[in-house]
Amino acid sequence: MTVPEDTERIKSCCAAAYGNDAVALVLGESYHPGGLVLTRRVAEALRLRPNQRVVDVASGPGATARLLATEHHVTVDGVDLGESTVANARSTTEKAGLGDQVRFHHGDAECLPLPDNVADALVCECAFCTFPNKEAAAAEFARVLRPGGRAGITDVTIAEQELPEELSTLAGWVACIADARPLQDYLRILADAGLQTLRTETHNDAIARMIDQIDARLRVLRMTSANRLTEAGVDVDAVLKHTGLARQAVADGLIGYSLLIAEKV
Amino acid sequence: MAGAKRDRDEVFVEYTKSICPVCKVVVDAQVNIRDNKVYLRKRCREHGWFEALVYGDAQAYLASTRFNKPGTIPLTFQTDVKDGCPSDCGLCPEHKQHACLGIIEVNTNCNLDCPICFADSGHQPDGYSISLEQCERMLDTFVAAEGEPEVVMFSGGEPTIHKHILDFIDLARARPIKVVNLNTNGIRLATDKRFVAALAERNRPDRPVNIYLQFDGFDERTHREIRGKDLRERKRGALDNCADAGLTVSLAAAIERGLNEHEIGDIVRFGIEHPAVRSVVFQPVTHSGRHVEFDPLTRLTNSDVIELLAAQCPDWFGKDDFFPVPCCFPTCRSVTYLLVDRRANRTDVVPIPRLINIDEYLDYVTNRVMPDAAVRAALEKLWSASAFMGAETTARSLETTAGELDCVACGIDLPQAVKELDERAFMIVVQDFQDPYTLNVKQLMKCCVEEITPDGRIIPFCAYNSVGYREQVREQMSGVRVADVVPNAVELQPVLADSPYGSKVARSTSSDGNGHRPAIAPDTTNVGRKAVER
Repeated sequence: MTVPEDTERIKSCCAAAYGNDAVALVLGESYHPGGLVLTRRVAEALRLRPNQRVVDVASGPGATARLLATEHHVTVDGVDLGESTVANARSTTEKAGLGDQVRFHHGDAECLPLPDNVADALVCECAFCTFPNKEAAAAEFARVLRPGGRAGITDVTIAEQELPEELSTLAGWVACIADARPLQDYLRILADAGLQTLRTETHNDAIARMIDQIDARLRVLRMTSANRLTEAGVDVDAVLKHTGLARQAVADGLIGYSLLIAEKV
Repeated sequence: MAGAKRDRDEVFVEYTKSICPVCKVVVDAQVNIRDNKVYLRKRCREHGWFEALVYGDAQAYLASTRFNKPGTIPLTFQTDVKDGCPSDCGLCPEHKQHACLGIIEVNTNCNLDCPICFADSGHQPDGYSISLEQCERMLDTFVAAEGEPEVVMFSGGEPTIHKHILDFIDLARARPIKVVNLNTNGIRLATDKRFVAALAERNRPDRPVNIYLQFDGFDERTHREIRGKDLRERKRGALDNCADAGLTVSLAAAIERGLNEHEIGDIVRFGIEHPAVRSVVFQPVTHSGRHVEFDPLTRLTNSDVIELLAAQCPDWFGKDDFFPVPCCFPTCRSVTYLLVDRRANRTDVVPIPRLINIDEYLDYVTNRVMPDAAVRAALEKLWSASAFMGAETTARSLETTAGELDCVACGIDLPQAVKELDERAFMIVVQDFQDPYTLNVKQLMKCCVEEITPDGRIIPFCAYNSVGYREQVREQMSGVRVADVVPNAVELQPVLADSPYGSKVARSTSSDGNGHRPAIAPDTTNVGRKAVER
């Protein structure tokens, strides 16, 4: 897999895209593969105890951070690169009465705005694959975790062979696919940063399901608000073509989804 | 030298009770998983071992348990706990759920003699039909138990040939019952427009009358083998007459392995395109009453039907688009809703579970945070045996659900937009009724589809058809001795004889010698003996 030439451009493009109307329209608010069911599975594996401190890298609208705070009684630091995303997450969380327990920070996964050794655990859902410098991000995970602290990562994986051409474009990147790596690459990157993988699980159904959800959302928007989609610059047929390709790639085993739990050595 | 120990080829997951399919005594039963399929196995002291497939996908079977919600206690019970389940129906105070749907069978006569009929109905000289007084008593029993019942279904026999069927509907409408369903083969709807008009007059938005039309497919063979004659023109006529009169129709398809399983996708496609049809209900053929010879180990189950549908309409569904219904036992019934947009150049179909994470709302076991109460309540009404398209409760619940699709971030008022979709919503139900082979008392105890009997009992549908209550009620009502029906299973052929109604009975039926009917499902499991006799 080639390293993108203009990583800054792509990184900000990616974060902006997640905060963008068109992407919000297509992806919806709270969807990441596996939904809260998979989030709970990650949380279980992290063996959280009340009052521990957890970092959520690429926290998005904050659903995971709030779930961890409510179900595991931990404090959470959410970090996201999108400024408006952070603002929205903050206000939703305050409305839910969790403002004291969950804080959000505007920041970059490759340079987390948090001190060393502060976190008992860290989660990063469907975002690692979008970080252009994965080695730097992994090093940051290791830096903020205390020794023995665990990272729970769920992410898109790809087979060793090449992806279809159409999915390696910028649109594919935004959909979390183009810079995804084979599972073994993630394990190596984490190990090099001092994070030893304890367990991995395959959840390919989760990504197939998410593709179906994106597809469904688009179709329903086309039924109800076709003109709004056009205004936002969404070409429904083009996106449906992409979801079709992605679905086929999942069926062919080219794209998958994995959960991995690693511990700071 | 002793041989090496071997592992069993199955995982033992449940211990329960069932009945012997031949003599109907209550026996212990076990549920096992082999090759990702779920089987129920049991042993009768007299008739030996029996095994049947109960769910084709073990993972889905186990995953469905988290959709099991607490039952609701009905206002009244009709019987006492005496001998235990399934001998005390019903409902006895140990029943775990109220009745979402009450069925009143108005007759045993029918204008067809279908080779497949769980009610064992037909052109028969010795059946019965209920009187106006009996119908009133049955409705009153239902109202006393439920307060404001959601749905009553008139069935038979063929209810449209009962001379008082319109009066029965009026009796129901004079009571606080929200929806009336008429379960019919459609012959009278196709041939008697005045009758259709009379039904349409009674169909009001706040108190709808819905047609539940038997509709098994499009091949001539399907019709001949399931219904005994080619009814394709009749079905079309009935549907078109209903559309003209503004009556809402649910298509009810009996699906049998090797007969019409290839038509599942076409039935949905047809339903979506027909203006009268708002839902399809798929029922793997219940091997109670009259049916063609079958193998209990390869019968169709809910997960098989869902997989067939997904395979036959791959652009519209996956098997993940169906969710178990929490009000009954979740393995009994699965449902999905679709939003349908018909355009000149394409039909867009979107399963609602792809738009809202149903999991988050209907998971009663692993969820530790209470989801939004209004949305959960709406989804509970949709994922329920009492949901019928055209019913006000169902329409309101669809609106509430649509409201949850709101996307504040993008500034589209989706709820407003989706309100217009109410007319485009379409329901698909898959319901596997139990038979004397598959009966699992665990499921029976939480059944929410009930037969209301003329003597004022409310009996779970699958108990009524499998355990011996149907035969008991027919005998009481007709005064003619009725032997217990035995499934027409391949392995039982040597012990089967023909009943007068086309079903099968055991070759030598036991009787107490005084000509009295033996007790319903005598229990051979809890017979009051010490666990270890010394």
